[in-house]
Amino acid sequence: MFNDRILYALAVVFYGASMVYSVFLWRRGFRQDDRTNFGILLFGFALNTVALCKRGIYFDRCPVNNLYEAMVFLTWSLAGICNALNFSPKLRFVGVFTSPVLFSLGVFALMPSLDVKHGGHPNFANGPTSLHAALVILGYGAFGLASVAGLMFLTQENDLKRHKTRALLSLLPSIQKLEQTIGRLMIAGFTLLTAGLAVGALWVPLPEGKTFFGDLKVIWSAGLWLLYLVLMVLRWAFDQRGRRFAWGAVLGFAIIVLTFWGANLGSAIHHP
Amino acid sequence: MNVLVLGLSHHTAPVSLRERFAFAEHHIPATLAQLRESGLVSEAVILSTCNRVELYAATPLNESEAFVRLERFLAESRQHTDPIGAELYRLGEPDSLEHLFKVASGLDSMVLGETEILGQLKKAYDLALQHKHTGARLNKAFQKAFNVAKQIRTETNIQRGSISIASASVELAEKIFGSLDQRQVMVLGAGDTSEKAARALLSRGAKSILVSNRSYERAEELAGELGGRAIHFDQWASVFSDIDIVISSTSAPHYVLDRAKLAPLLSLRHNRPLLLIDIAVPRDIEPEVNFLENVYLYNVDDLQAIADSYLKQRREEVTECERIITQKAAELIAARKRET
Repeated sequence: MFNDRILYALAVVFYGASMVYSVFLWRRGFRQDDRTNFGILLFGFALNTVALCKRGIYFDRCPVNNLYEAMVFLTWSLAGICNALNFSPKLRFVGVFTSPVLFSLGVFALMPSLDVKHGGHPNFANGPTSLHAALVILGYGAFGLASVAGLMFLTQENDLKRHKTRALLSLLPSIQKLEQTIGRLMIAGFTLLTAGLAVGALWVPLPEGKTFFGDLKVIWSAGLWLLYLVLMVLRWAFDQRGRRFAWGAVLGFAIIVLTFWGANLGSAIHHP
Repeated sequence: MNVLVLGLSHHTAPVSLRERFAFAEHHIPATLAQLRESGLVSEAVILSTCNRVELYAATPLNESEAFVRLERFLAESRQHTDPIGAELYRLGEPDSLEHLFKVASGLDSMVLGETEILGQLKKAYDLALQHKHTGARLNKAFQKAFNVAKQIRTETNIQRGSISIASASVELAEKIFGSLDQRQVMVLGAGDTSEKAARALLSRGAKSILVSNRSYERAEELAGELGGRAIHFDQWASVFSDIDIVISSTSAPHYVLDRAKLAPLLSLRHNRPLLLIDIAVPRDIEPEVNFLENVYLYNVDDLQAIADSYLKQRREEVTECERIITQKAAELIAARKRET
């Protein structure tokens, strides 16, 4: 029987296959239907789900105990939302833009140093901690999808501005639909992040001798929360829409991906 | 008993000849009845449009004799005395069936892949059917033709895309706004092409049209036709905050809208996207405005390039369509042979 890491590696292979197929769809100008890619991603998601469940059942808790598990959970939530969006014909090709993100995160997660062995006292051994981690990571997943919609917006907007025929020939959605999708995903991500941080601050017990104040991950999370709040206020109160809003969604998630591991490693609470 | 086609079309005959052979709709049943009573054919359908006049017939006669007699009948019924040569095509099976399928699919149309001809063909068939001038042969052939047209429409890109400036404008608007419901359109200059584009946008759900023209009377006239509202030409900028799509086709020798004029208007619109379609020559809108955020400017050459690109795409699909048609015609003939 395959262990959960092998199952996850297989899921990453499917995400990689989807990425390769996405290049083909991109070169065809997004003119071919995305059903094959949808199928490949669905297989990857199924394997990812089994890998996540196996580990969760084995340790009898939400499997977000170390960086590897957090990445497995993040790719699972990203792939899940992506597959849900794929059911809408108006949001075709969301998988094309998501698969490179899934593959990159998956390859990174499989690096051996991230899957550290659980000690006698797991970091996330109780309900509130699991809930805190799950909500926060689902929030990252929504931000990830918002950045994917942002990439789709920037591609389509660039083609329209430059009068490329691909803008019309492609099956990508309209830019207003994409902007609406970015906004909705950002609100969803922000709500989940807020709820996750609130659960963490109010109900998760701190390790002995540790405090929230000055902890790198706490500062990082607060900064991230503020960043998305500013993006949303700029969008809805100050009309900073269109390309700027899409760039905000893309750069916001890029910051998460590029600093997530550093913030975790530098945190006394999250990496004791 | 085979299906034959005798006809002329925009491919083979000038309009001066096509109009002489054209049938008014109310004359068709009587002509079909006369044709059947003559014993020449047992079933017949006449298709008469501005681009073609065709007689589809199932006849017990051998092909060469049938064509000679049908041609004579057609010439006499249209009172045409001059000799007809290559303008008239005479097709026997399987070419006749393949031709019918091509006509139904828009492959033989002046605008490749257009769908209007399918409606005209259905109407011609229904007329013959109602008057009981069709039978097993033509019923099966026409039903198959309608099925093939549907298959080609869904399985190929032959009917995809806009090949006119008006429809390209609509498609662009849909790529920016998605649905055109609640979108406000402004027409600057009451020209023919801008009227067509405005009508196309309205047909896809645009909320309302504002028309502004140097001659206010002409603006009122066009606004009345489109169910919109006329605005004095020196006042159009004052309503710009509500506009989503502008179609400009004035005869002004200079720019009507430039970057300096547009930039302050954008903040009034809360940075909502704005589609500018400039079909005037010389141009009405300064090209620099395309560099403004959330503004998308297309001139007549850009729209023509889109239409040409779609036409090229349609031409690339012809081979695949012809493959389907050949296969379906062969299947129909084989099925008929099995039945007999």
